[in-house]
Amino acid sequence: MLTRGGRRGRTAASVALGVLLLLGTFVGQDDHFPFGPFRMYSTREDPDGLVLSTRVEAVDATGRVLVVPDTATGLRRAEIEGQAGRFRRDPALLELLSRAHDRIRPDEPPYVEVRVVERRYRLRDSRPTGEQTEQVVAAWKR
Amino acid sequence: MEALSRWLFRPAPLRRIAILRVIAYLFIPVDVLLTTPWVAAHAQVPGELYQPLLIGRLLPLPTPGPWVEVLRWVLIVAALIAATGRRPRTLGLLVALLYLQWMVIAFSYGKVDHDRVGFLVLLFALATVGKRGGEEAAGWAVQITTLAVVATYFLSAFAKLRFGGLDWVDGATLTRAVVRRGTALSTPLLDVPWVLHVFQYVLVCVELFVSPLLLVRWRDERRGWLLVGVFYGFHVMTFLTISIVFLPHCVALLALLPLERVRWRSRAPEPMVAA
Repeated sequence: MLTRGGRRGRTAASVALGVLLLLGTFVGQDDHFPFGPFRMYSTREDPDGLVLSTRVEAVDATGRVLVVPDTATGLRRAEIEGQAGRFRRDPALLELLSRAHDRIRPDEPPYVEVRVVERRYRLRDSRPTGEQTEQVVAAWKR
Repeated sequence: MEALSRWLFRPAPLRRIAILRVIAYLFIPVDVLLTTPWVAAHAQVPGELYQPLLIGRLLPLPTPGPWVEVLRWVLIVAALIAATGRRPRTLGLLVALLYLQWMVIAFSYGKVDHDRVGFLVLLFALATVGKRGGEEAAGWAVQITTLAVVATYFLSAFAKLRFGGLDWVDGATLTRAVVRRGTALSTPLLDVPWVLHVFQYVLVCVELFVSPLLLVRWRDERRGWLLVGVFYGFHVMTFLTISIVFLPHCVALLALLPLERVRWRSRAPEPMVAA
């Protein structure tokens, strides 16, 4: 059996959890983790709009052009997208990805160029039309 | 208040907590080493790209660096010892706090995942069950985890309303998901957009109307199994179609099942259903 204090403490914790999760849902942001909104897939996409897909490309010291996998820099695609605004404003920050790559894969030739590329798929009636365009949105060169 | 109290403290067998401990604590090394190795990789990312969450700024937690490797192994060792059931409260709290710190490292680089709240609550809840509280304490741990699990589904419908608007259901969110992360199984669906459109309605309906049923402890236990089964089915499907799996959340979901009845020694482990 729980003591009275044990019950009271647990009841208070339950109410606090409920209130924080509700606050997170209606006014919180991801920044308030673990009490942020459960916003996975919560934005609405226009059925006649564009779907963006981001990737990181690099040119290494041997001149090869590579698509950079998440595992080579330690940043996931969604994280690159989450910080895309910073990379656009200050492309010099992409050097940090090159530095991360040097640490994670010291045996590979270093990156001398890093760029963030956005591919845009056009939709019509929620269906890809096949029309695609690509744009480099941030680039850094050693 | 009376009804809430009765719901919160509905006794649960201590054996269920013991089983949940083993599973949750053994899941931690799997999570840290195998299924989400990218968290540890953040240690290699230069500190300028660290964008600490509110909790990381308040506490304040240091910028990830070589110490992350130490934290990783301390977390793993603590979880392995906790899985033996020794010092459940002290070690349980230690593991929960270390895992929370691990989450701050995970989500402070521009993207927060939404599959962790149920598991975090489970970890903290497990640390509240000691020898004295008995089946009432066990019951509360199960119920508070249930609450967090259901909130993950139920409140996500309101997040859709908030960020996507009332016509979220008529948008192209799932099309976008398949374009970006489609699998061999889901890519053909891009040619039949009405399927994805209907599924958006199904998703919101399940979140709003089916997930709260998980809060009920059914007299006929088979209903409980069936409901939890529906949600596991949903997670398998999201994995097959957009290669996303809410693995830690799926571990927390186990708390809703009468695990204490599972006969582990029989040749094929099958649920024992009450007559």
